[in-house]
Amino acid sequence: MQNIISGLNQAHEHVPGKKRKLIGDRGDFFLNRMQGETGVNISACYQCERCTNACPVSHFMDIKPHQAIRYVQLGWREDLLKSSTIWICLSCEMCTTYCPNEVDVAEIIHHLRNMAVHSSITPKEKSLAVFHQTFLEVLRKSGRINELRLMNAYYLKPDILHERIKNNILKEDLLLGMALLRKGRLKLFTPKFRAIKEIKKAYSQTRGEIV
Amino acid sequence: MRLSFYPGCSLEGMANDYARSIDTVFRDLGIDLVEIEDWSCCGATAAHSLSQTMSVVLPARNLAVAEKMGLDIVSPCAMCFNRLRFSQNMIRKKVFDIPWHVTGELRVHDMTRFMAEPSMIKSIKKRVLKPLNGLRVVCYYGCQMVRPPKITGYTDYENPQTLDRIIATTGAQVIDWSYKSTCCGASIGIARREIQESLTRRILQKAQQAGAEAIVVSCPLCQSNLDIIQKDRSDRCTPVFYFTELLRLSFMESGASKLFKMHFADPVSLLKAKRLL
Ligand code: SF4
Ligand code: SF4
Repeated sequence: MQNIISGLNQAHEHVPGKKRKLIGDRGDFFLNRMQGETGVNISACYQCERCTNACPVSHFMDIKPHQAIRYVQLGWREDLLKSSTIWICLSCEMCTTYCPNEVDVAEIIHHLRNMAVHSSITPKEKSLAVFHQTFLEVLRKSGRINELRLMNAYYLKPDILHERIKNNILKEDLLLGMALLRKGRLKLFTPKFRAIKEIKKAYSQTRGEIV
Repeated sequence: MRLSFYPGCSLEGMANDYARSIDTVFRDLGIDLVEIEDWSCCGATAAHSLSQTMSVVLPARNLAVAEKMGLDIVSPCAMCFNRLRFSQNMIRKKVFDIPWHVTGELRVHDMTRFMAEPSMIKSIKKRVLKPLNGLRVVCYYGCQMVRPPKITGYTDYENPQTLDRIIATTGAQVIDWSYKSTCCGASIGIARREIQESLTRRILQKAQQAGAEAIVVSCPLCQSNLDIIQKDRSDRCTPVFYFTELLRLSFMESGASKLFKMHFADPVSLLKAKRLL
């Protein structure tokens, strides 16, 4: 029993002696839910690792793409939502393209990301999660993305500025910003945009608000 | 010929030189590009990451407007192209409620594939005034334009040829290499720069090893990643061109260096050395 899924534990913090993680009475519930929501036949995965080998950033991930698929099959939802994998993924679609069984790995990772933001779990790669969120907020406000506005909004998010100062990238960022400005690559003003009403409505609808 | 044009946000900001070169090239080729009226952002990776519904609804707005205009869409940005196609796919599956009337039946062209069709190649050939002889380049496609093949419709996703064909028409020497569609790191650089830089640097190195003097791209994000990483380098820099910039250069009797002032890796000295400026 111990050995059947032991390969999975390279990245997973399973300590010998500690109680082994079981699928539990959740059964196939999570797997079926994922399959239903993504339309992907996740059970078709036979762990050939082609997705992980194709992935350009698998070495930055704690759960490798093929392992993520296995975790879904096992119903280990929390481990997935807590992982850095779902945030590190670049959506480069290498995994999906090369899977021999047409498992849409990238879509599954996207869907897990979706789930993670709607859960109470704090994302492991907070700076990445906050970036995506800021992007959507700016988009909601102005309908189009203006790089300068996006970066400003991003910096104003709690912890981001602090983290950037701590990691010594603030100065670099400012220099880059100045250089971009000099080269004329930043747009300073966004023109008033008429479709914004429709976009705001679409946003509220997706959140289940009626008016 | 008339087509509707979906520029995307980058072409208003970081890549406004791309937008200008597209304008010139299409005017020269006699193709009418009609900007989609009041277009909005496609949502890019963020919408796809955080809300599946938004990733279908946001592009659908633009599709709806284009359908009203009745013109096929051409998109210069790889990401926008991918998102528009993805949204169409989902609309046809009818699992999302779209607040606008949209059927998803329009054709969405990616700009490079549109330009690489035989009839277009012919008209490009006719327009070339000054062939870019002696310029050695590699073409870099990135991810979103070619993958996943089910959405983009590329059958040669491992070794795409569209840019190669277009650039070969201008007389430049196109070198074959293996990193055509390896990911450049995309927008991860904003939050985790070291990951993006490691990926971008590898592509740059491989291009130089292949013997390229310049890289040709069609994606605004690939361009800025590959270009900005060279900002502090004065010695061996490898300029990163949009393919329309090279087309425009070959369409002109004599180019002007001010056309390239938005580049970090300075192309002017290279082009001067090749007597193209
Ligand atoms: S490539 Fe496909 S079948 Fe192979 S491990 Fe990855 S998801 Fe499973
Ligand atoms: S889409 Fe994500 S998981 Fe798949 S290969 Fe690209 S980075 Fe890796």
